[in-house]
Amino acid sequence: MNNLTAAPLHPVKAANSPFHFNLAAYLVQIDRERALNLGELLEALRNCSEDSIFQHTFRTLQEHHFIGEGYSNDFAHWAHIARHEEGLAKELADVDIRSFTSIGDLRANIVQIVEEYLRHESASRDRSALKPFCFCSSETVVMPTSFVAYSLPDFTKALEQVSVHSIHYHFIEARLRLKLRTNDFSQWMDHELGMKQEANQLNDLDIYTSNLEDIRGQIVAILRRRVN
Amino acid sequence: MKTDKAEVKIPTGGKQVPAKLAERRKHPIISKIPPPPVPPSKLKDYEPIVGRPELDELYFLAQKLQGKTVKMVNSTALGGGVAELLTSLVPMLNELGIKAKWEVISGKDDFFDATKAIHNALQGGEHPLTERDKQAFNANNEENRKRLVFEEDFIVIHDPQPVELVASKPGGHGKWIWRCHIDLSDPNPEVWNFLKPWVEKYDATIFSSPAFARQLPVPQFLFYPCIDPLSEKNKELDEAYVQEVCDDYGIDRSRPIVTQVSRFDRLKDPVGVVQAYKLARKSVDCQLVLAGGSATDDPEGAAVLKEVKEAAGDDLDIIILNLPPWSALQINALQRASTVIVQKSLREGFGLTVTEALWKGKPVIAGDVGGIPSQVIHKLTGMLVHSVEECAEQIRYLLTHPKVAAELGKNGREHVKENFLMSSNAKRWMLLFHVLMGLT
Repeated sequence: MNNLTAAPLHPVKAANSPFHFNLAAYLVQIDRERALNLGELLEALRNCSEDSIFQHTFRTLQEHHFIGEGYSNDFAHWAHIARHEEGLAKELADVDIRSFTSIGDLRANIVQIVEEYLRHESASRDRSALKPFCFCSSETVVMPTSFVAYSLPDFTKALEQVSVHSIHYHFIEARLRLKLRTNDFSQWMDHELGMKQEANQLNDLDIYTSNLEDIRGQIVAILRRRVN
Repeated sequence: MKTDKAEVKIPTGGKQVPAKLAERRKHPIISKIPPPPVPPSKLKDYEPIVGRPELDELYFLAQKLQGKTVKMVNSTALGGGVAELLTSLVPMLNELGIKAKWEVISGKDDFFDATKAIHNALQGGEHPLTERDKQAFNANNEENRKRLVFEEDFIVIHDPQPVELVASKPGGHGKWIWRCHIDLSDPNPEVWNFLKPWVEKYDATIFSSPAFARQLPVPQFLFYPCIDPLSEKNKELDEAYVQEVCDDYGIDRSRPIVTQVSRFDRLKDPVGVVQAYKLARKSVDCQLVLAGGSATDDPEGAAVLKEVKEAAGDDLDIIILNLPPWSALQINALQRASTVIVQKSLREGFGLTVTEALWKGKPVIAGDVGGIPSQVIHKLTGMLVHSVEECAEQIRYLLTHPKVAAELGKNGREHVKENFLMSSNAKRWMLLFHVLMGLT
């Protein structure tokens, strides 16, 4: 993690454009693809919609945001609980969705992991799981919140109050919109407030060993240090 | 607490129960008078629980649905998860500016016998559907169809009992939604084929788990059922009241309490719970509370209750409570008094009793069936089991590992707060209405 005292702090600029806190609500749709073994999973992973990959990775992290450690995506969870394929489960759990700025790349990575696993564990291809993996996708409604920030203190105060769904939307999902390995908060802090150092620090936060409330607390702590 | 020196030997386990408690267990004080109805909560009452941002989401989604009309139809006004759900959901939608109504279909014994057979067969049970059952089912649906008027923008039919009401769809402008609350992952093919042509007439279907969805030509959505945190069943209770309820039922709060709350239904496996308790009891001290009743659409309850009593034998530490449908507060108190809550279902739609237990921060041991794994994430929000022996092992483990039990309870409560509260449910309904109106 960057050391706050390593670089001189410049005064925080006033923002030209405010930060509008939004969030997304999802309605989960049950899709047709189902997999009872790894061969079927691989086939479905290649052919399912991008919405489906999003649902089982980005979205599921939001749905289970309160669990600090132990739940990273639905594919890993299924490999662990329904197949007891611990090696595969670990490989899949290690996929960090923040490394990806497109669902296509994320899908390719997951497919590659399953293919690689099956190269060494070919007997697993047709062995049935205890229960099927059911692919889902979601309908999305993006909505504004009442929180708008014009300055760093405004932003910090709003961040303390917004729903964790808003944090997920701006901090985790954002890279799919931005097509950059960053997030809406860092982008705004860097471009509007000139806080490059803090913007980078936010990108270093570990979303897999902290729940979203913890992430909120860590972001606020970084911002408060600067405010103070 | 006063103790009674006279004690009764318990044949299994060798522990002793004070005579006064033993007497109360044999003759629990059960209210015979329904309490007056409680006025529905207002949205603002949810704010301390779910937070203002969550309510803002609801108001935002409601903006484009102002004045839209919704009719919810199910088969029972009292008892069972669906009735509880609608009791809270309908007023909440109205407060959001959506004109929601709730209608209950009527039926005689032959209809409810048929629907019970259908219910069990759809959940994989061996219940043949006779021609007489089919006739009773068809005739009753037709009678209700003639009685009810469907002029709303959205007509939501809950579960198989009123499924044929969709025959009224042609000519109307409303969107028809079938909300299936039961586990359809492995239905009896004959019974499913009997219902499927009706289901295919709907504009959308809703299931409680992805595994329940069937191959249908209509969109299928995932709705987790939800609990109302302000209802009698789930609201916070005074410690004194919890103690009073335990006293009424002869429950000793100085010893661990393992509880299953479910109506007496074979698919809830109450006999399996008794067996698991008896195994666990060989190494840990505890009492077992089986609290249930019969919904008005469940004629098998008495037979199952008899089986449970036979399985319990003369073990005084097994407390079997056949409670009337108006026992929400008492059940709330029982859940809060419990050390561990079990829901060892063999089939389950969703298992709202699991949700209730998780909401109260209790460690839950539950069957790995139906919608339960959506709630109980093994070793993170509870423990999933597949047999009597596993259930016994987890009872022993959680009673002897209170820190693990507390962590599961804490995670479980957060899981419910995020995914299974009434506010989330109202949000999903409004999102679905948006989708069906082409607003997304």
